[in-house]
Amino acid sequence: MTITNKVSSKSVMAGNTPIADVVDAPTIGTATAGVESATVTYTAAATGGTATTFTATSNPGSLTGTGASPITVSGLTASTAYTFTVRGSNSTGTSPASAASNSVTPTAAPSFESIASVTVSSGGASSISFTSIPLTYTNLQIRGIGRTSDASTGGNLATYIRFNSDSGNNYAFHQLSGSGGGTVGAGGGQSQNLIYTIHAGPRGNDLANTFSAQIIDILDYKNTSKYKTVRVLGGHDMNNTTAQRMALNSGLWMSTSAITRIDIYLESTMAQYTQFALYGIKGS
Amino acid sequence: MALTYEKIASTTLSSTQSTVTFSSISNSYTDLVLVMNPISNTTSGSYPYLRFNGDSGTNYSRTMMQGTGSAAQSDKSSNSSEGYFIYGNQVTTDAAFNAIVNIQNYSNTTTNKTFLSRTNVASDRTEALVGLWRSTSAITSITIYCGSNSFVSGSTFTLYGILKA
Repeated sequence: MTITNKVSSKSVMAGNTPIADVVDAPTIGTATAGVESATVTYTAAATGGTATTFTATSNPGSLTGTGASPITVSGLTASTAYTFTVRGSNSTGTSPASAASNSVTPTAAPSFESIASVTVSSGGASSISFTSIPLTYTNLQIRGIGRTSDASTGGNLATYIRFNSDSGNNYAFHQLSGSGGGTVGAGGGQSQNLIYTIHAGPRGNDLANTFSAQIIDILDYKNTSKYKTVRVLGGHDMNNTTAQRMALNSGLWMSTSAITRIDIYLESTMAQYTQFALYGIKGS
Repeated sequence: MALTYEKIASTTLSSTQSTVTFSSISNSYTDLVLVMNPISNTTSGSYPYLRFNGDSGTNYSRTMMQGTGSAAQSDKSSNSSEGYFIYGNQVTTDAAFNAIVNIQNYSNTTTNKTFLSRTNVASDRTEALVGLWRSTSAITSITIYCGSNSFVSGSTFTLYGILKA
């Protein structure tokens, strides 16, 4: 005796295990971007066999996720646009793909990564450069300590930075600072050829073994449609033996170029143990 | 590239205690970042400070500036036995105080240790401070004090380490 499966028209012999109906294509729902992932909703087909598994597949990449709606597809690349299709399957086979979903673009997972660091050796250095900076982060941060070996008592001997070797008057900076004397000072200027990060950093004749500390944030550094902004937290304390200072700086580079190079200068020779490290921050 | 910003330890107090200590700090990082949301047991306010490696000698100093919404000022202190990371008795019984203290190059043994502190008292002021510990020893422990008072339940303290390439 032959039994005909009324939906799939597949035939089975009586007494054997029945063959499940073939699953029809699900109806695609909505894709939603996540952190290097996306979720995809779907509705199982009202006709055909009963699916035991639903699989969402990305385009591009063919990365997959399975489960009930919504399905999560992980391992996607941030800032890449994806669409998704969903298929149902059972022991008989796999359905045709659903229609493609809406397009979504996953965001980057937050991370803080070390890119490079430089420590000045006993011979001193005139500057520190970070070159070929990858354009794979959202923001950059420079963390460091600095001191000049120059024992001169004149001038500010400040720390400053430039981007992409640009020494034109394309910068601006402003500063709030306090040296412990009661008042808080303000300074800065437009159309500068640098961004000061610390004024009056430690010199060779200041308290021994004592360095300024700086944290320089460079925001949205790879954006090619707007100018680049900088913020600085920096200072040096000398146990009241010479000038000390706490400062908050802001900076602007009036360029829409992505930053691929950063040069850090002291206005005199950098002393041994001066150290700056560059970090990349991902995530929005 | 390796991830470089790691949580070393974190604590949320479940009872009142006068100090919080992070000890046996590895020297494998470049910088430390201490994030705090402390609460005092006194409404009159407490003067929080820290000490490194249990040093209670007069080896600390600081320079700060702050704004209160109507005025700005700068102050300094030297040869102190307390490593102040904010000026004044700003930790009270509410949770409005927070602090982020960056301790740069904490494990090198050739320089004194400079730290940068950003603190906020939501109802009152914001402040930036640079502190100095005159010691070339690597920092292996940090103890945070609530002045002469105590931290209460709910106070949070987290220590992070940052590696360089």
